[in-house]
Amino acid sequence: MAARRRVITTAAALCFATVAVFAQNPAPRGPRTVNAPPKPTGTTPRTADGHPDLTGVWNGLGDNLNGVPNQIANNGISIESETVARDLHSGQIVTVFPRLNNRPQNNEQAERAAALLRRSGSNRPIYKPEYWEMVKYNDHNANEEDPSNNCMPAGIPRGGIPSYIAQFPNHVMFLYPGQGGLIATQTMYRMIPTDGRKHTPLQELDGTYTGESIAHWDGDTLVVDSWGFNANTWFDQIGGYMHGEDMHVVERFKRDGNTLTWTVTVEDPDYLLEPWTSTPRVALLNPNPNAMLPESQPCSERDLAHIVTKEHH
Amino acid sequence: MRTLPSAALTVAIAVALSTPAVQAQGAADRAKVLRAAADALGMGRWSDIGGANTRLPGIDIVNTMELQGSGTTDMGGRQVKTDFHIALGYNPVAARVELTRTPDGGSAQHTIETVRDTYAWNESEIGAGLVAGKGVATPAMAAVRERLLHIWMLPYGVVKAAYFAGDKTVVSTAAGGTTISAPLSGPLAGITVKATLDANSLITKVEARADSAALANLNSEAEYSNYADHAEVLTDVKTPGRVVLKQAGRTVADMTVKTWETNNPYLVFPIPPNVKSAPATTSR
Repeated sequence: MAARRRVITTAAALCFATVAVFAQNPAPRGPRTVNAPPKPTGTTPRTADGHPDLTGVWNGLGDNLNGVPNQIANNGISIESETVARDLHSGQIVTVFPRLNNRPQNNEQAERAAALLRRSGSNRPIYKPEYWEMVKYNDHNANEEDPSNNCMPAGIPRGGIPSYIAQFPNHVMFLYPGQGGLIATQTMYRMIPTDGRKHTPLQELDGTYTGESIAHWDGDTLVVDSWGFNANTWFDQIGGYMHGEDMHVVERFKRDGNTLTWTVTVEDPDYLLEPWTSTPRVALLNPNPNAMLPESQPCSERDLAHIVTKEHH
Repeated sequence: MRTLPSAALTVAIAVALSTPAVQAQGAADRAKVLRAAADALGMGRWSDIGGANTRLPGIDIVNTMELQGSGTTDMGGRQVKTDFHIALGYNPVAARVELTRTPDGGSAQHTIETVRDTYAWNESEIGAGLVAGKGVATPAMAAVRERLLHIWMLPYGVVKAAYFAGDKTVVSTAAGGTTISAPLSGPLAGITVKATLDANSLITKVEARADSAALANLNSEAEYSNYADHAEVLTDVKTPGRVVLKQAGRTVADMTVKTWETNNPYLVFPIPPNVKSAPATTSR
């Protein structure tokens, strides 16, 4: 019991440590009591070629983007007020419970709640039946099975919305700063051509964590098409969602004022019964025009060997 | 202190004595009782990890659950040794009940009964009918209501139904304890579930009663006891260790729980194409 508490405390401390770094940039304000997608404000800037300009630091919501409040949103549960919440995928109303101020949570209780909150949404990829037990096993045993443990990259699309985008005439740069911690937070970057080139034939590619990406504009939406992955990642933050080397990922980025909406579709006929499309995730531009990305947090895994229960993120 | 005039006191006593044994309570009490029942089960949760600038309210975190156990089921009037494996979810509302029954002196019989929304079917193997050549899914639309009802008769189902029903939910107190009554909706419209709470606000009994004779075959009771966190991945969600299901006073299932995983495990219930295109029945 003591060992378990120590591990959970360490994990929680790592998460909170990263919060402090990410909280530096957004303008100070009161705590958010909702996690519903932010409403866009302002105009959408455009580049000289007329496309929306996605350039910017997209961490304006503050907090740790891999933290529980944001992951509840990523999971498709929109808490719209202190009395109304809904599952965006199914439309089902979710009962809201006011916090009990006389019942503070210790780290163990908060971690257990976090594991539930991150998984309560309805938008789950539908695997072929022969893989149902394996996916469940992966998530159940994520402490040992999560390929992003031991400081390995999250990969695509698990990396989610990049914290920084730089847009150039013939390519875009995506940066995903590492946040330390236990899961899927290693630094990644992607340089993605928008010059009209085609994919390399899949059989000529060595599988990588971020695959081979090419992008084009579909109206005002940047469409990033990727294949050529290795099979060493899961494709969402939680859930044990494994995939094969033939996974095909299509990400759609749409800027509206100070918001960036990201939706991803995963195709993997070897594993999935049907393509899976994420519930749209919305990032907010950092309101500070001088915002800079924080230094990446190093990842040095020391806890895994000491975990004695199956409790996990 | 002012004393009441004796006539007024007499009237007050008379009113008190004429109050029915069962006392329906107001909105504030209803909210309090529902919250206590939800908290006893561990349903309403929040966490601030990674959210320094965020303080979200709690939400209902119960969606998918998987339980395994052993006990007996009624088979033609005989209690037969049975192994249970049940997967269920509330979003979407669905369940897959896998039973292995072994009659005395007989061979094991294996069934998989599935329901989702307004569709029910039986599977020859888990996920049958979804991939060509992999098992057979047989529509069983007439069973939709009965299978759905078992999901809503679970303690979590009653609490969810009570919140969904809003002002139509009735909380009462009587000598036997506090009860929550909530009408069900959708395919189960016309059925009311009534839960009895113990002193710790845990649901110990659920009765399902139909408003009309046409649905009377669905009248049933469930008893829940030995609550604990029966999961391997601990979540602080309390689950019963024993479940007894009765119809017309007769025990139709009696299960001792081995594990009850509540960490929203990966459980999916896609509807096979042949079930989706099957004709509806009056039960759908």
